[in-house]
Amino acid sequence: MRRKILPSNGSAGTRRRSLGFLGRFVALLIVFYFVVASKPVNDYVIVPFTAGVAAVSGQLLRMIGEPVSVAGTEIRSGTFGVNIENGCNGVETALLLAAAVLAFPAGWRQRLLGFFLGFFAVEIVNLVRVVSLVWIGRHRPALFDSSHTVIWQSAVVLFGVLLFLFWASRQTRRPAPSPEEKDGR
Amino acid sequence: MLDRRAALRVVIGFLVALAFWFLFSGPYERVVAPAAEFLLRMGESPGVTRLEAPGREFLLNRTDFPPGAPHPGLPSADLHFNFVLLGALFALAPRPWRGDRVARFLLGALCLYLVHVVFLVFEVESLYATRFGDWSLAHYGKAARNFWAAGFHFYQIAGRFAAPFAIWWFLGRPDPAQAASGQRGRGYRKKKN
Repeated sequence: MRRKILPSNGSAGTRRRSLGFLGRFVALLIVFYFVVASKPVNDYVIVPFTAGVAAVSGQLLRMIGEPVSVAGTEIRSGTFGVNIENGCNGVETALLLAAAVLAFPAGWRQRLLGFFLGFFAVEIVNLVRVVSLVWIGRHRPALFDSSHTVIWQSAVVLFGVLLFLFWASRQTRRPAPSPEEKDGR
Repeated sequence: MLDRRAALRVVIGFLVALAFWFLFSGPYERVVAPAAEFLLRMGESPGVTRLEAPGREFLLNRTDFPPGAPHPGLPSADLHFNFVLLGALFALAPRPWRGDRVARFLLGALCLYLVHVVFLVFEVESLYATRFGDWSLAHYGKAARNFWAAGFHFYQIAGRFAAPFAIWWFLGRPDPAQAASGQRGRGYRKKKN
């Protein structure tokens, strides 16, 4: 039977389970951080991935009529240019999502499905963010700083958290498998 | 937990928290800076670090800086914009304006304030440990340099987003059973009408 993580304002047992989830979440986040921050992973995974985000964003910007050039992780549009770094490539939200999904008591198949679908959705929202930020930087430069730092970063992370909560609510609602189901009959 | 009303509450919570953050981030920085300065000075003898918050950045000053030396500025929004995330998450619960939920939100905001103070200390120490050339090498060993720099980098990459989520998970997450009974209650009232 799946364990339920119940609210923090519940009994001592549920509070303990809630703390257990938080402990696993923080531990996994630290592990993932060290993996992502290590030089080989950064150079051979994160930077090429970020260049891919820049290339796809460049294509989308050209589709909406913005004349842009892309070189590696940098997108230039006229006199305006942005360099996509960690924090702007959706990886930080993916780390959060991965840590939360893996820390949550669910089957491994559900966890992997939740993470990969969530990662895909987060990256789509992140593409919208990059495209809109380049557009804002070129056409409304006064709004760029607040849009970049506060609004879009918070919005993408909030989207990731809501995805996790949606996934988690489906896991806790799922009925416990019957003995026949457990036996695969 | 995640129905249409909850989504609307999150959007409204996000916008209200954003407006609050824009209005009060300046005064807030003037409360964060002295606390971080106090912690930094606890590790110094004599205490020489001075943190000022003129707006949009924390200005780092040391009484032993040579006269006329530039004072490094640390961008302040990066440290505390995650308040917006905390506000949006606390708005997820039904009737977020209820007294007990407001109290939990204020407690959460206090926890986030402590996180901001601690990581401002990490940011300043990371600057001392890695950006002052020979002075950094003379005053910080390899382990200390890695500790402060990795601590602040962790906050930048993951910690600043994880902190509001963890605080909300522990203090503000709505009870699914209560939420369900609340929805049932609304349903019965509708049937009576």
